[in-house]
Amino acid sequence: MKTHKGTKAALVGILILALTAGTAYAQKSPKDKFTFGLLNPIVMPEVEEAELPNGLKLFLVEDHEFPTINLWILVRAGTAFEPSSKVGLASITGSVLRTGGTKSKSGDQIDKELDTLAASIASGISTNLAYLSVSALQESFDQALGILSDIVREPVFAEDRIELARIQHRTSISRRNEDISGIASREFAKLIYGKDSPYGRHTEYRSIDAVTRQDILDFYSRYFHPNNAWVAVCGDFKSKEMVEKIAAALGKWERGTPSADPWPKVDYQEKYTVNFIDKPDVNQSSIMLGHIGGMMSNPDYPALTIMNQILSFERMFKRIRTDEGLAYSVWGSYGAGYVYPGVFSCGAQTKSQSTVYAIEIMLKELKRIMEQEVGDDELARAKDGYLNSYVFNFETKSQIVDRMVSYAYYGYPIDFMEQIKSKVEKVTRADVLRVARMYLKPDKVQILVVGKKEDFDKPLSTLGDVNIMDITIPPRQ
Amino acid sequence: MAHRKFCCPGALLLAAVLALFCSSASSQTFEAVRKQVQTHVLPNGMKFIVLERHGAPVASFHVYADVGSANESYGITGISHILEHMAFKGSKVVGTKDYAAESKILEQIDSVYASLRNEESKPEPDPAKVAELRKQFAGLEKQAKEYVVNNEYFDLMMREGDNGINAYTSSDATQYINSLPSNRLEFWMAMTSDRFLNPVFREFYKERDVIMEERRMGLETQPTGKLVEDFLAVAFKAHPYHHEVIGHMSDLQSITRRDVETYFAKFYGPSNLTVAIVGDVRADEVFRLAETYFSRIPGSPKPEPVRTQEPEQWGERRVAVSAKAQPYLVMGYHVPDARHKDSRALDGLANILGQGRSSRLFSSLVKDKKIAISASASSGFPGDKYPNLFVFFAVAAAGKTSAECQSAIEDEIERIKKESVSPDELAKFQRRSIKNLLDQMANNASMAALLTYSDVILGGYGKLFDQIDQIKALTADDLKRVANQYLVKNNRTIGEIIPEE
Repeated sequence: MKTHKGTKAALVGILILALTAGTAYAQKSPKDKFTFGLLNPIVMPEVEEAELPNGLKLFLVEDHEFPTINLWILVRAGTAFEPSSKVGLASITGSVLRTGGTKSKSGDQIDKELDTLAASIASGISTNLAYLSVSALQESFDQALGILSDIVREPVFAEDRIELARIQHRTSISRRNEDISGIASREFAKLIYGKDSPYGRHTEYRSIDAVTRQDILDFYSRYFHPNNAWVAVCGDFKSKEMVEKIAAALGKWERGTPSADPWPKVDYQEKYTVNFIDKPDVNQSSIMLGHIGGMMSNPDYPALTIMNQILSFERMFKRIRTDEGLAYSVWGSYGAGYVYPGVFSCGAQTKSQSTVYAIEIMLKELKRIMEQEVGDDELARAKDGYLNSYVFNFETKSQIVDRMVSYAYYGYPIDFMEQIKSKVEKVTRADVLRVARMYLKPDKVQILVVGKKEDFDKPLSTLGDVNIMDITIPPRQ
Repeated sequence: MAHRKFCCPGALLLAAVLALFCSSASSQTFEAVRKQVQTHVLPNGMKFIVLERHGAPVASFHVYADVGSANESYGITGISHILEHMAFKGSKVVGTKDYAAESKILEQIDSVYASLRNEESKPEPDPAKVAELRKQFAGLEKQAKEYVVNNEYFDLMMREGDNGINAYTSSDATQYINSLPSNRLEFWMAMTSDRFLNPVFREFYKERDVIMEERRMGLETQPTGKLVEDFLAVAFKAHPYHHEVIGHMSDLQSITRRDVETYFAKFYGPSNLTVAIVGDVRADEVFRLAETYFSRIPGSPKPEPVRTQEPEQWGERRVAVSAKAQPYLVMGYHVPDARHKDSRALDGLANILGQGRSSRLFSSLVKDKKIAISASASSGFPGDKYPNLFVFFAVAAAGKTSAECQSAIEDEIERIKKESVSPDELAKFQRRSIKNLLDQMANNASMAALLTYSDVILGGYGKLFDQIDQIKALTADDLKRVANQYLVKNNRTIGEIIPEE
C-alpha cells in the first residue's frame, strides 16, 4: 500500500492577498477594495492506494465526519462497444446487473434488503464507462458490500428483469419526441458523429427486441473483470481495515481476460448544413449549432476552457439573454472528452418568432470572438473566476478520491487538474484569440432547429438549403 | 458488525430490529451538529443561523425569503419569481455607471409604459398612438442601457470564486444561494446587504421577456408542465397554491416595475428573511458582520400569512390535458401543512407506498404488473407551508393506460388502509430518513438550505433533528389512521394527459 500526500503548495494560487487595508467595523460598498485574509489551507486527505492480487485497484480516503460510507467501482466498458444491431445492449446490461438478481438472491430480495438497510446500490453503463456504486450507513456497509460483491461477481440477469428493462426502453422510445430540447440534442449528436456512429446512434424498438439474455451474459463476461476495474471508497472507516474488507468481499472476484478494444474513433467531415425538424405543437424553437469539439488531453484545453467561459457567459448569455431577452436557456461551449472528441455547440430555446434572429446573433458572436482579442476585463473575470473557485474542487473528500479514480480510469495523469490550473494562470488574450481561430468554424457549422416553421420570423432557407429531418419513430415489428 | 448474509425473511426482520437500535452513531452525530448550530437575530428581525464546518476553506450562503407564489394575488401571479430574477440586476451601486442619471430614465420608461398599457387596453386603441409610444419606449430603453453594467452582480460574485450562484422560487419561498471561498465572508455581506437595501429593478421589461421564455420552455412546450398547471388549478379552488410559480402569461405581460417595488417592500423586509451560513466561518464573526451590514436595513412588520384557506372538497375532481404525448397520471389528496402532527406519518406513508424499488407501488405497477415504468408517492406538493397535496405520479408503460395505473394504485391504497404496514417497512422508513438527513448534511449548500427550511417552515432549526425522533416514534397504527383519514375519494383530484391522435 502506498500513500499520496497532497501538495499544499499547489494551492497557493487561490490565495488572493490583501491589496488595501479596510477598517474592521465600517461597512464597505460592494465595489470597494476588499482585504481578504489568508484562506485556511486545504488539508489534503491521505489517499491510500492498493491493488488486490486479482488486479482490482483501490483508492481509499477516510472521512470521519459522518457515519456513512460510499464506494464506487468503475469498469472499462461502454455503450460504444455494443454492436449497432443491438443498441441498448450495454444499457440493459448495466441496469439488469443491479436488478436481475445473483446466484444466491433474487432481484426482489436485494431490493428489499437494501431498502431495509437504507443502503443503495446503483449500476449503469454509459458511453465510455460502466459503474457500480454503494451508499450506506457505516453500520450497515458490510452487508451492502456483501450484496455488491455478489452483484458484480455472480449476476444472473433474470429474464423477467431483462424484460422489465426492455419495457423501460420501449416506453422511452415511445415518449422520445415530446420535448424539443431532448429531440435537438439527440438529433444533433447524429449530425456530428453520424447516425450509425457509437456516439450518435440511439435505441429503436428493433434494436431493443434483438437483445437476448445470452448477449447480456456475453457483454458482461467481456468486460467485468477485477483487472479491468477501479474502486474508490470514502467515508467512516480505517483504511487498513477497509482494504481487508474489500479483499474479503471482492478478492474472490476472479481475474479474467477483458477485451482491450480501443474506443471507437470519430471521423468528422467539416460541412455547413441547415437542418429542420417540424414540431407544429410548440411555441418555441430549440436551436443547436456547432461542429466537432476536441479532447481534454489537447495542450490547448486550458486556453479553450477560458475561451468557453467568455463565449458562453460574456458573449452568448449577456447578449442573447440579457440584452435581447430572447431566451431563458442559452449557451456556447467547446466540449472536450476524455477518450473521444466532444461537441462544440451553441444553443438556445426561443419563441418561434425569434428563431432566425437568434441564430444570426449566435453566428455573429462566434465570428466576433475570432476577429479580435477579448477584453482585458473579460479575460480577468474568466481567469479569476476559475482560479478563485478552484478551492471547490476540494470541498469534500469524496470529490478528491472520485477525481483520482476517474483520472486513473481514463489514463490521465493523477495531477491533471493541477496541470490545467497552472496553465490557466498563464492564458493571455492572444491565446484566447489563437484557440478561437483554430478551433471554431462558424462557416462550417451544422445548424439544427426543432420548432413550428409557420411562426418563424424568417424562413430557415435564408440560412441555406434546408435538410428536413424525419423523426418518426419506426414502429415495432 | 460482522459480515452478514441474509437469506430468509427472519433475517430481514432482524435487520429491521437492528435498524432501530443500531443508529447510535447517527444519533450522536445529530446531537453534536444540533449543539454546534448558533443563531443570532438582528434588531430589525433578520435571523442568522451558522454551522461551522472547518473541513475545507469554503462556505455556502442561503437567504430564505418567506414569500413565494402563494403570497400572490390575481394580476400579479409570477411576481415572486420575477423578484428572484431582478435580484441579479444590481443596486444603486452594482450594475450602473451613474445611478442618478439612470434612475430618471427608468422613471420615464415606467411612465411611457403606463401610457402604452392604457392605450392598448382601450376598446379601440389608436394604432398611431400605440406606435408612437412603442417607439418612445424603445428609445428610452436604449438610453437606459447606456448606464447599465451588464450582469455586474454575476461578474463580481463569480470573479471572487462563487461556485454556486443561483436562486429558486417555489410556492412557499424565494431563495438566494452563493458558495464562496470562506475568506470572502465580508464581501458576501456587502453584496447581499446591498442587494436587499438598495435594489434597482433595471432592465425590467427585457427580463420579463426572459421569464416568458422560461414559461414557454418549462411549461408550455412540456405536456407534463401543462398537466401540473391545470392539476393545481383544479385541486386548489381557493388557496393560491392554485397557480404555478411561473405565473400566468397575461400577468407576466402586464406586471410593472412599480408592482415589483410594492411587492418587494411588503415581503422582502428583514423580518421575513432568514440566512444560513455553513462552512469555514466563525459564528461570532458572522454575527458581528451581520450587525454591521444588515442592521442598516430598516425594520418592517412581518407580513400577514395567506388568509384564504382551501375549503373541504365536495367530491372527486378530474382534469385532462390533451397533447401529442403518451399517457401520464397524477392523483392528489389534500393533507395538512408540514407542522401538523400527522405530517411525519404521511411522510412514512409516502415512503412505504411510493419511494424506492421495494416500495409497494414500484413492486406492483412496475415489477409485477409491468403497466408502468415509474410510480411514486410523496407529500408536500406543491409546497408545505400551507395544507397541500399527497400526490401519486405514474408513467404508463408503452401500450398501457393511465386507467390501469390508477386502478393498481387504488388497490394499494385500499390495502394499506386495511392492513397495517409491516415492522420491516416501518424500520425501512425510519432508517432511510436518517440516511437521507446524513447525506444532505454532508454538503454545505444542502445543509444551509435545510437549516433555513426547518427554521421557517417547521418552526425552528432544531425540528430538523426532532423529526428523526418523531419518525422513530411512529407506529403502524399511525400510518393506517392517516391513510384512512386522508386517502379518500372525495378528497382527491385526478389529472391525466390524454394522447392526441
